Amino acid sequence: MKREDRVRFAVLLAALVIAQFTVRGRFAGERIAPDFLLLALQLYAIRAEPGAGAVAGFLLGLLRDALTPASFGSGALAHTLVGYLTGWGKAVFFAENVIANGAFFFIGTWLRNAVVALASGTLRDDRLIHELLVTSPLQGLTTAAVGVGLLLVFRGWPAVRPRVL
Amino acid sequence: MALEADRTGSRADTFLFLVCVSLSLVVMALPVSWRDPMAGVLRRSVLAPLLMLQEQSTQFQASRAVFVELERQRDSAALAATFLPALRAENERLRGLLGLGERLGVGYVPAEVLHQAEPTSPLTLVIRAGGRRGVRRLAPVVSPEGLLGTVDEVEPRTSTVVTWAHPDFRASAMAADGSVYGIVASAGGSGPGGLWLLELRGVPYRQTVAQGTLIVTAGLGGVIPRGIPIGVVMDTAAVESGWERTYLVRPLAQPASVGHVVVLVIPADADASRGFAPRDARQ
Repeated sequence: MKREDRVRFAVLLAALVIAQFTVRGRFAGERIAPDFLLLALQLYAIRAEPGAGAVAGFLLGLLRDALTPASFGSGALAHTLVGYLTGWGKAVFFAENVIANGAFFFIGTWLRNAVVALASGTLRDDRLIHELLVTSPLQGLTTAAVGVGLLLVFRGWPAVRPRVL
Repeated sequence: MALEADRTGSRADTFLFLVCVSLSLVVMALPVSWRDPMAGVLRRSVLAPLLMLQEQSTQFQASRAVFVELERQRDSAALAATFLPALRAENERLRGLLGLGERLGVGYVPAEVLHQAEPTSPLTLVIRAGGRRGVRRLAPVVSPEGLLGTVDEVEPRTSTVVTWAHPDFRASAMAADGSVYGIVASAGGSGPGGLWLLELRGVPYRQTVAQGTLIVTAGLGGVIPRGIPIGVVMDTAAVESGWERTYLVRPLAQPASVGHVVVLVIPADADASRGFAPRDARQ
């Protein structure tokens, strides 16, 4: 990756982190608002190797667990899975187009919420079903929309860059 | 080519993945006495600047709303300037009525709620008030509607609140007229459409509670003061034959939608009911 690309990518990730703690609170539906941190993780994981995605996911999940102690550890597990599977999915599906990346963002958000909900054991019955079938898909859609928008605005340069031997 | 390159790295990737999953499982299995300090260290170090950013953003948002409101008030005031003495008297009267904090008098700490994105975020909230402002562990946290939860962890600048939706939450409760006592606990998302509800447990079998009865804290147990509204009885949830009844209660305060809260730092044997408007006034 070119140095200029690396800097631009780092700036994009930093902007997403800041957006999570500033812009996100202004959305009307707080629970279905786009998850900028998860988007940053997936953008990173798409460009990195699956192992690096897993490590980044674990660290991000651990930090987020500190903010939601009701599910401590489950966030780390969920983000590890999302980070690894995003990197792995890139290798398998060779996702270089925007629609495939949008699908990654949607599935990643849903999967993260599902793992947190199931692993923490704090959501049950109707609440769990509502989370899996209503709230999480909606949050997945908003996150994917923002992710696709970013890829289009930046003309795809945050997207996957295959390693060449 | 790229696919092959990814495959050559797959062994190391799998190893890293398994290590991260194992560490996550270890973290999940940690006892609460280890988890909470660990989370506290992260909040005070890496996350501190981000939480400060979120707090400032929340304050900016609130300030902007106040500014717009003030502009409206200024225009109205200009129009009604001729009635200034009457307006001043009315303003004094309204100021005396408005605001939960003012009604409570002393012994409260206002705080912003720093919402998070995870599905479990309504179970525990991080609020922007900590030990430096007098917040204590187990202090009740309320919104103008009623009880929201209790403080679980206190740090210098932030605190963690266990809300009534958390499976571990319990509070002694009673009907507003004192006729029935019980214990309130989370019923999970057992309401229609996954609505979070509470259960009033341990009501003697021979006593019945009518639908619509206001449930308030009973003040027993020396933790939460008496008289804080909790919710309204919806229906009977279960009957232990000849022994006790359990009622479903619709909570008044919603953790997911609340933006600002008040932490009560009054003695547990105090009566907090004067801080809350009568039920009819709230509806």
